[in-house]
Amino acid sequence: MNRVLLRASGLVKRYGSKSVVNGIDLEVREKEVVAVIGPNGAGKSTTLDMILGLKRQDAGSVTYWRDDYKASVGVQLQSTPFFPGLSALDNLKLFAAFHKRRLSVEEGLRVLELCGLRDVARTEASRLSGGQQKRLAIAVALVHEPKLVFLDEPTAALDPRARREIHELIRRLAESGTSVVFTSHDMEEVGKLADRIVMIRSGRVMAHGTPEELLARYEAANLEELYLKLTEEGAT
Amino acid sequence: MIRTVFRMMLVTSLKDKITLFYALLFPILLMAGLGYYFDSPEYRERLLVGVIALSTLFWAVQGVAFQVYGQRNKGVYKLLKLTPFPTVSFVLALTLARTLLGLSINAIILLICAPMFGIALPFSGVIQLLVMLLSGMLCFTCLGFLVVNFARHEGQINMLSNLLQIPMVFGSDAFYSLSAVPEWLARAGKCLPFAYFVDGLQAAAKADIQPWGVSMVIVLAFSFVILVLAALTFRWDPDHREIGFRLRKSAANG
Repeated sequence: MNRVLLRASGLVKRYGSKSVVNGIDLEVREKEVVAVIGPNGAGKSTTLDMILGLKRQDAGSVTYWRDDYKASVGVQLQSTPFFPGLSALDNLKLFAAFHKRRLSVEEGLRVLELCGLRDVARTEASRLSGGQQKRLAIAVALVHEPKLVFLDEPTAALDPRARREIHELIRRLAESGTSVVFTSHDMEEVGKLADRIVMIRSGRVMAHGTPEELLARYEAANLEELYLKLTEEGAT
Repeated sequence: MIRTVFRMMLVTSLKDKITLFYALLFPILLMAGLGYYFDSPEYRERLLVGVIALSTLFWAVQGVAFQVYGQRNKGVYKLLKLTPFPTVSFVLALTLARTLLGLSINAIILLICAPMFGIALPFSGVIQLLVMLLSGMLCFTCLGFLVVNFARHEGQINMLSNLLQIPMVFGSDAFYSLSAVPEWLARAGKCLPFAYFVDGLQAAAKADIQPWGVSMVIVLAFSFVILVLAALTFRWDPDHREIGFRLRKSAANG
């Protein structure tokens, strides 16, 4: 079995008297693609924020396989954090510098090519289409060749072609040995990409396992049916 | 690496065309218009110092506030926190880049406006001017950071900046002597750093060391206080403050 890259245990987050996350456990192994799914407001983003150290948990722990994990973790946020006035390539160089890496033009173009953006390398990032900006955000997450990548709704609001390109990119990443954790509302996408699914609802893990295990356990014909079953009021 | 970050901050700051207008073109037009209208060498010298001070104020306060707001709301700081690059180094690189550009803008205004009206500054005065501009740039950049920490949307940046900038300009000697204004206005102006900044620039233009030194100390003291306040209220995420209250919105988002 591959080694564990990330282990989050018993994560709890409260805002006043309201609990947003109630004891979530999550484990990610090397070369694994894990989908975190759940309805809006389920606690997915808060869980990711705690795992990434952006929010402090009220209870629980997060352990990475190495202490200086930031150097080996890539993150694509839902927002597209680019610097106005800088081209796609310059934005990439800047984020590489944040990771203390000097990126040559050739290296930058290679990363952009991987994300289907080579033709727009010199275009100002703010002038790129929504889909291209999303792919640039993923390129930024990959610029330092991370071992573990977090993608927060990487295909949201993308057209089918751009979605397919990102699916291929995630597959290529997994094949090259990079672990990927992604959130999504698209069950077809989850079925295509995920080795393991973690279903969150009301701040708790409702179910987890491989797609096949979950379909068999909950007697669902497909992942969409499974999702609907598990997110029904009163489902346990 | 810091060089790359600094260079990129120069480029991105240079693309801020609106602030460039208010920091460069507007002061030059103001100097040309008022300098032409008021045919007095003394007043023209005051005017030159005034437009340089105004340029510094606009460039540092509003320029920084809008730039930081845009970066923060796009999630740049959030992403930066996930890299090994210290946020402090990033803020420093941004501040240095903007300071360098701000000084260049001041130099352009000086080089255009001083010969336009035959104003000559002593060499030692130019050095004093430069040092004063540096400390003013630091002070007002910190003020820009402070303003953006309290702004929830872009409109509030303008509102909060003007709330500080307008009393500062009217309560200073930038464009007229405070001896002619009501005492309360002069007193109010002395509660804020701009009046001391203008006093320091005017003393520098005359190469007058003692009042320049006093103004320097006061502006630097203001810078320190504002820097501490800006650091305490700094937000790297629209919904998060370093200390103090957290917005209730984040609780609802889950």
